[in-house]
Amino acid sequence: MMQEPQEMVEETVTVEEDPGTPTSHVSIVTSEDGTTRRTETKVTKMVKTVTTRTVRQVPLGPDGLPSMDGSSPMGSYTDSIDRRYMKNGERYITPQASSTLTRSYNSYNDSYPDSHEGQYRPYIGHDGYGDLADNYGSLSRGVNYRPRYAYVPGNSYRPEDGSFTLPSRRDNYGPIAQPQVPVGSNVDLNRSQPERFQPEPYGLEDDNRSLGVDDEGYELDPDYSTVNRRTSAGVPERGRPHKGRGYDDPIETEMVEERIPYLHGGYAAPLAQPERGSMASIDRLGKRSPSIDSIRKDPRWRDPDLPEVIAMLSHPIDPVKSNAAAYLQHLCYENDKIKKDVRHLKGIPILVGLLDHPKPEVHRKACGALRNISYGKDNENKVAIKNCDGIPALIRLLRKTNDMEVRELITGTLWNLSSYEPLKMVIINHGLQTLTNEVIIPHSGWESEPNEDSKPRDAEWTTVFKNTSGCLRNVSSDGAEARRRLRECDGLVDALLHALQSAVGKKDTDNKSVENCVCIMRNLSYHVHKEVPGADKYQELDASQTMSTGGSQKKKKDDAGCFGGKKAKGKKNGDLDRNFDTLDLPKRSETAKGFELLYQPDVVRLYLSILTESQNFNTLEAAAGALQNLSAGNWTWSTYIRATVRKERGLPVLVELLQSDSDKVVRAVSIALRNLSMDRRNKDLIGSYAMGELVRNLPSRQQRSSKNLEEDTVVAVLNTIHEIITDSSENARSLIQTQGIQKLVAISKSSQSPRETKAASHVLQMIWSYKELRNALQKDGWNKSHFQSVSAAPKGSKGTAGRSGYDDSTLPLVDKSQDNEKSGSRDMIPMDELGPDGYSTIDHRDKERKYKTSDNTGDASEKEPLKNDTNRKNINRSNRASVNLVDARDIKPQPVDSWV
Amino acid sequence: MSYVPGQPVTAVVQRIEIHKLRQGDNLILGFSIGGGIDQDPAQNPFSEDKTDKGIYVTRVTEGGPAEVAGLQIGDKIMQVNGWDMTMVTHDQARKRLTKRNEEVVRLLVTRQSLQKAVQQSMMS
Repeated sequence: MMQEPQEMVEETVTVEEDPGTPTSHVSIVTSEDGTTRRTETKVTKMVKTVTTRTVRQVPLGPDGLPSMDGSSPMGSYTDSIDRRYMKNGERYITPQASSTLTRSYNSYNDSYPDSHEGQYRPYIGHDGYGDLADNYGSLSRGVNYRPRYAYVPGNSYRPEDGSFTLPSRRDNYGPIAQPQVPVGSNVDLNRSQPERFQPEPYGLEDDNRSLGVDDEGYELDPDYSTVNRRTSAGVPERGRPHKGRGYDDPIETEMVEERIPYLHGGYAAPLAQPERGSMASIDRLGKRSPSIDSIRKDPRWRDPDLPEVIAMLSHPIDPVKSNAAAYLQHLCYENDKIKKDVRHLKGIPILVGLLDHPKPEVHRKACGALRNISYGKDNENKVAIKNCDGIPALIRLLRKTNDMEVRELITGTLWNLSSYEPLKMVIINHGLQTLTNEVIIPHSGWESEPNEDSKPRDAEWTTVFKNTSGCLRNVSSDGAEARRRLRECDGLVDALLHALQSAVGKKDTDNKSVENCVCIMRNLSYHVHKEVPGADKYQELDASQTMSTGGSQKKKKDDAGCFGGKKAKGKKNGDLDRNFDTLDLPKRSETAKGFELLYQPDVVRLYLSILTESQNFNTLEAAAGALQNLSAGNWTWSTYIRATVRKERGLPVLVELLQSDSDKVVRAVSIALRNLSMDRRNKDLIGSYAMGELVRNLPSRQQRSSKNLEEDTVVAVLNTIHEIITDSSENARSLIQTQGIQKLVAISKSSQSPRETKAASHVLQMIWSYKELRNALQKDGWNKSHFQSVSAAPKGSKGTAGRSGYDDSTLPLVDKSQDNEKSGSRDMIPMDELGPDGYSTIDHRDKERKYKTSDNTGDASEKEPLKNDTNRKNINRSNRASVNLVDARDIKPQPVDSWV
Repeated sequence: MSYVPGQPVTAVVQRIEIHKLRQGDNLILGFSIGGGIDQDPAQNPFSEDKTDKGIYVTRVTEGGPAEVAGLQIGDKIMQVNGWDMTMVTHDQARKRLTKRNEEVVRLLVTRQSLQKAVQQSMMS
């Protein structure tokens, strides 16, 4: 009879269970509500609903309520279902449900740690998706339902009218008006699916508050959650078509059947309208199939609205709490407005409070809800979580729990939170050592006291490890203090390196966790020559040499610093190189551990292996960035590293990567080569082998095949070329031989970007300064005017030699802040909500950090304005390697003039 | 006025003799200079070659001793009282012009119009 049942396609399904159920027409419910229902993709859902429908059919018992046997519930179900549908199409959230599932799952977006050091791009972790699939499976709630049915009948749901009837609660369902927690099910992921189930309230008018998610049920069955969701699906906001009945919880439907009776009385407390109550439903049942009519006119219940859900979080009954949290998670999935509303309604402190709840289902679902809330572009939610001490609470829970899912949720939330810069230090303060001890060290396979007999353990690439490494990636981009803390964190660097070694050994270098780890290493290698304790004793004497040699040439400013240094260094390096061959590394009294590992020449081998094997662009960029960072600077270790790269045959690896299609990889590799060519022998080798590739990377109008690289990359390549032809007329000659002049002149004359023009002009001027090559150039048809352009003002050449003040952080040195900073912010935190893509919320802002080097070398104080280049180097920490050269120029200080 | 490092600089110059004006405790010449090897040459609006780090006249006070003597804005100062001004820092330049015990400074300045005038006269 039920027409409605049509919708209930599910019914059919249930039919099985419920003999009494009319065979449903599969017509799917999507009918009226249409839309939503549809989504059902979840056909499974439908199933569920169906069940409800069947319920309708159930004959009423003596009291007018559907008999509570197995079948009856069905009857009620149907009823409710109908209602649901009828009620509001909107309720039918189903469609979303499915989507939610996905969302919740993945949210792992990766937060990119991009901090400038490493500019990372935000990546989105999709892992979730994979899971989602599972979830979907779970959707087949319908399937689950059945079992649930089983329970349902068992309970005395009925009696309570007000009780929501959390299915699980059967036992204790007393006449408690329990808020129907909409599917609290935590299926975080699944949110979508199950719930959507049919938002339509069962139609219990009054306490439609459908049964809360049956805790038990839910727990048992992922579907449950969905189911629950269903009920909850009736998103409160949906407006309840019903009068305000309790929301129906689709899931509850199953239970609802039983519940129906109580529903009426039940929860719907605030909304319950007496008449809607069971009687109403009963009426319905009694009269004719409640179905459409009832649903349409009088949806017995409605989904709870947001304030109600939040109130349910404080409900004394635990399943209600957990259902509410799960429903909240579901609601928040990819819905920024609801997240904001939750924040305004002060839901966040309550959720944080629930993290300390002893029951796993409660804190698990609360964590899931927090994870969804923390994801998104709106950072206020993240701040709200931090303000109510959410971060220490998450860390506490991480220490206490062994449940892998909870740990995934916790670390996922932390990853999300870490993408917002102001929170990074907070996370470090509360959670760094715990995350290291609880997740990184165990999953990396590193043992601090290795047993000599056992072979080294392999790393486990778990989701928890991925999330945690993503979080650490983000926070490592937060500047010098953050770097210091991470370097000094006990066991962190060791474990990360061990994990990376293991990945290389298993040839599994493309996964996200490896990417995160390499980014952390890159960030921590940034400025290592300046920041690690005891660095000064390794500093080489560069300054004095710089001064003496600096004056002779007006090199670009950045170069100036570097040049000066470089020149000196170059010479020194040359000498040292020879010595290094025979020299041992500084004697170590014990093996290196902790941050010292960052710059041991052994890591060179590791990074080179990663560069050789990985196909992941972010990982490649990070490994090149790490080498760039390590080979910058004027200290002993950098010199060793530069020599070691050469000895480990790393230069060809880097040169080959110049052929990459990815901008960021080319950029990072170019700057690494640039830094490496501070070593004289490297410069010679790079000049001979890399010149061709470098020139090939320059844009050219004529060449169709030339790559179309971004401005920053072109500038980086130009600066690298500049570096290798400085102090080496052989390299300048090979530049001429690779037909590079043509491209350079074209860029300097006609590029759209002033930075490219300047960089190209610098190179041209450097070439011209080699008088011995002028003949060759003139033979090729070039003349002086090509090389000396007015616009190419030398950037502030260092000015006096004395400028040794150049901050070595300028380009040549790592400064590629990008490396460091990249990580981090960019990555968006994984959000479970996000689907495979999970959009990243905060982006790695870090990348943009600009470093200002305060080099002022004392140059004449009064001169600053003109000198901008040398002194103020703005290191741009954006992803791109900031080529200081260009930057410096960009900042034009006001020229100073003096009255006489 | 571009120069090639290592090669002598050649230019057509004008001699300008400025008699400083006493103002209270100071002797002023009435113009301002910009440039210097420690400055950014790219910002120099007057130079032909933007890599030129020489000392240029950036402003001239009206009616002041410099203007009276024939100094023009945009002139590049090559020498002051025999001291070279093409390769000095900004401060050194300033000091050379403002010696308290000198009341007259003799400058050698050059400007593009001079160069052109000479070329034209040579051609004709």
